[in-house]
Parts: sequence; structure tokens; C-alpha cells
Amino acid sequence: MTDPEFRSAFHGHKDVLYRFAYRMTGSAAAAEDVVQDCFLALWRNPAAYDPGRGTLRAFLLGVTRNLLLKRWRRERPHDDPGDDTRLCPPADLEVRERAEAVAHAVQSLPPLQREAVILAEFEDMPLEEIARATGAELAAVKSRLHRGRQNLRRCLAPLLESKGETYGTR
Amino acid sequence: MEPDDDLQLHELLREWEAPNALPSLDGRVLGRRVSWWRFLLTGQIRVPVPVGLAAMAALIAMGVLLARDRGRVAVPAPAPESARAIFNLKDFQPVENARVRVIRSACANR
Repeated sequence: MTDPEFRSAFHGHKDVLYRFAYRMTGSAAAAEDVVQDCFLALWRNPAAYDPGRGTLRAFLLGVTRNLLLKRWRRERPHDDPGDDTRLCPPADLEVRERAEAVAHAVQSLPPLQREAVILAEFEDMPLEEIARATGAELAAVKSRLHRGRQNLRRCLAPLLESKGETYGTR
Repeated sequence: MEPDDDLQLHELLREWEAPNALPSLDGRVLGRRVSWWRFLLTGQIRVPVPVGLAAMAALIAMGVLLARDRGRVAVPAPAPESARAIFNLKDFQPVENARVRVIRSACANR
């Protein structure tokens, strides 16, 4: 990979990787560290990216995701990132702004649900690309996304109700 | 689940905006890539403290041993066999104070 190619990749994808890492961790410093490590990994071993297996964005998101999961496991050695049974608590509207409540709800999701929700809802990525980035089957991504949305509806029910809809009636 | 639910949730989620990467990231990523020859000239490596201390102790010990060896008087090596065979009779000098001890033979005491 030449220097101009690397610069182009960096400027083209740094924001999406940063937003993804920021939403996954809730920390600007952690997001910056992870994105830096991701691009340095690309610089050191550009041959790891195979254009035949997907877009560069999906590849870089996959690297970022692995770094985030590694960090998550280091910080919570006894928690399973694939544990889908965890439910996030309802948002406390009295103490939180709406955006803050949404951020808290997303960050309360189990990691595998969280990454699927972030990439689909915030980055508008197609499911196939999410599957490539996360190294999962398409069906697994759909399932995680479905459970993540269910979890968020439960968590953000007070906010959804305040918009004039009744939660849980369907 | 109805599509309306997804749309409503989607709109609500979008209220949480995440910032883009800070300019400091550019320096951290683009500034840290160096070619191998530039790394040899300007690169830095992190060395764990125990390894650094051990390396420093080894260097000091080596320096002390070298300095001690230089201070010693050189002992000439024994001459090889070929050199011993070549000698000159001029090297043989008369003895100045010869103490001669006469031992009488058993026959003389009789």
C-alpha cells in the first residue's frame, strides 16, 4: 500500500470507524486509541485486506470491532460478549436528556447486539456488509439486530410513548 | 414488528449524534507511520525497566573487565619449538662466582 493510498483510506474511513468505536465504548479517548491501532495495523500489514472478500470499510470495521472486543474482554474478563439474555434497564427520563438516554440505552446492549444496531441504525450499512465486518452469518446479524431493537424498545419505552405511540400493544 | 415501530425507533436513535474523529487523530496515525530506514535514524523503542537495567549492568561489567585486562602486564608466550632450536653460542657467558663443591669419592676415604 502506497502512502497516498493509505492517506486516502484514512481520510475516507476514519470518521465511520471513530463514530463506531465511540458509540461502542462511550469514550472519545478509547475510540481514538482503537482507531489509531486499526490504521497502524493496516499500515503494517496491508496484505491482510483482500478486496475480493468485501469493502475496505467492512474490513476496517472488522479490525476495529476485534480491537474493541479484545478491550472489552480485558476490562470484563468474566462477561460473555455473546450473552444475549441481558436486558437493559428502562431509561430514567427525569435525569437524562433524550440523546443521553439513547446513548445509555445503546451502550447497555450486549456487545454483539450493540455493534449490529450501531452499524445498521447509525451508519446505514447493509446487512451483508455488517455480516462481513463482524465475521458473522447473515442470519446471525439479523437475529442480533432484531434482539437489539427489541431491547432498545423496552429500554426506551418512555421516550417512544412520549412521541404519541403506545409501546407493547402490538 | 410493524415498520412504523422500526421507523420511530430509528428516528429516536438518531437523536444521539456521535462526533467525527478529532484532528488529533490525523497526527497520531499519519505521523506515526515511518519507513524502516527513517525508523533506523529517528525511531524509538520502548524497553521494559528490568531489561534496561540488565543491559546496563552487563555493559558496566563488560567495561570493568576490559579495563582490568588492559592494566595487566603482558606475559610473553613461551617460544615455539622451532625458535628454541635456533640458538647462538654467544649467549653462553662465563659464570662470575662459581662455588664448586667437591665430593670425595668412596675410594679416596679408604
